[in-house]
Amino acid sequence: MPSDPDELHSWVLRKARDLPPEGLTDDLPLLAGRHLTSLHIPELILLLERLRRRPIDVEQLCAGDFRDLATIRARFLHAEPGELA
Amino acid sequence: MTGHRPPGLRWSDLGHAAFSGPLRELAHACDEAFRGMAARWSADAEDHAAVVAAADLAPIGYLRSFPHLATFATALDPEGDNLSAFAADPSDARTGAVRLTGLAATTGVLTPAACYHVYIQHRGEEFTGPRYITTQNTCFRRESHYQPLRRQHSFRMREIVCLGTREEVTAFLDENRRLTTRLLTALGLPDDWVAATDPFFDPAHHPGYLAQKLQPTKHEARYGDLAVASVNLHEDHFGSAYHMRRDGRAVSSGCIAFGIERWLFALVDRWGTEHTGWPDPRDALAEVLA
Repeated sequence: MPSDPDELHSWVLRKARDLPPEGLTDDLPLLAGRHLTSLHIPELILLLERLRRRPIDVEQLCAGDFRDLATIRARFLHAEPGELA
Repeated sequence: MTGHRPPGLRWSDLGHAAFSGPLRELAHACDEAFRGMAARWSADAEDHAAVVAAADLAPIGYLRSFPHLATFATALDPEGDNLSAFAADPSDARTGAVRLTGLAATTGVLTPAACYHVYIQHRGEEFTGPRYITTQNTCFRRESHYQPLRRQHSFRMREIVCLGTREEVTAFLDENRRLTTRLLTALGLPDDWVAATDPFFDPAHHPGYLAQKLQPTKHEARYGDLAVASVNLHEDHFGSAYHMRRDGRAVSSGCIAFGIERWLFALVDRWGTEHTGWPDPRDALAEVLA
């Protein structure tokens, strides 16, 4: 698998603000909870492209694709190339 | 509109509309209905200038995000013989294009959205509760082409703004969306809402565009392919940029915006160009609020 989910977790942990007491969980709503903002998104896309070694077509991004860590991994790091956004 | 323009509409191919007679009355009735919605929130009314200082738009990066839409308030440089040179041959009689000579420093932008003035007006304020504000302005957006009542260079926009906590703002937007849906229905118009994005420049590389795709914060009520109203959750974008605070945090904000000309388009398209067949938006709102 050409990716490192821990690097994704570490990146979000460094960037996220106002994390709840239970910390950064896989189902924490990152954008809806305002833990990440729009300004983080281009850098996150670059990180994901590096981890998966393939570009992301931003026009194919859909609502909810960056909902939480679990969703990001499933959509961009664990899926087969044909399944990726 | 099926090829017929309503009486009372004077259209300039430059993208500007003028109204008289019953069409003007319908435009005012639409605005009164929207103000009636604002009254539900005891919204304070504000009137703002047609021009906003470019420096005041800098905190939100408007000119970086929407340079293709901006129209500037420019003036000739009065120094030297610049004015004489201009006056000698000011415009092209065939195209109507002005032959500008040297320009003075350009510091003003014609209002791109009515609500921007509100955030600038309340810059630096500390709030102790939610604030509701309504304003109307003539807004300017440069487009590649224009169509009367549908896509205009200048158009009238009524907005109702909430500055508050995220919960207060989302409740405000939800309720206004519900009221607008019922108003559309009462006027015999469709109530189709869709998630939308703002028309950012170079959107593929714009954080705001990407965020709106991933976490929709803008929803438009559409008549066919035409947005007649939008509800917009800004999160703390304006609160942070203009240092508006509540309980030690940047306030959230949201607005509902109504394009007056587009409501005219929808109503005339639905009910015909003869004004005797038009419903009264004020009566429709009263029905909604009853």
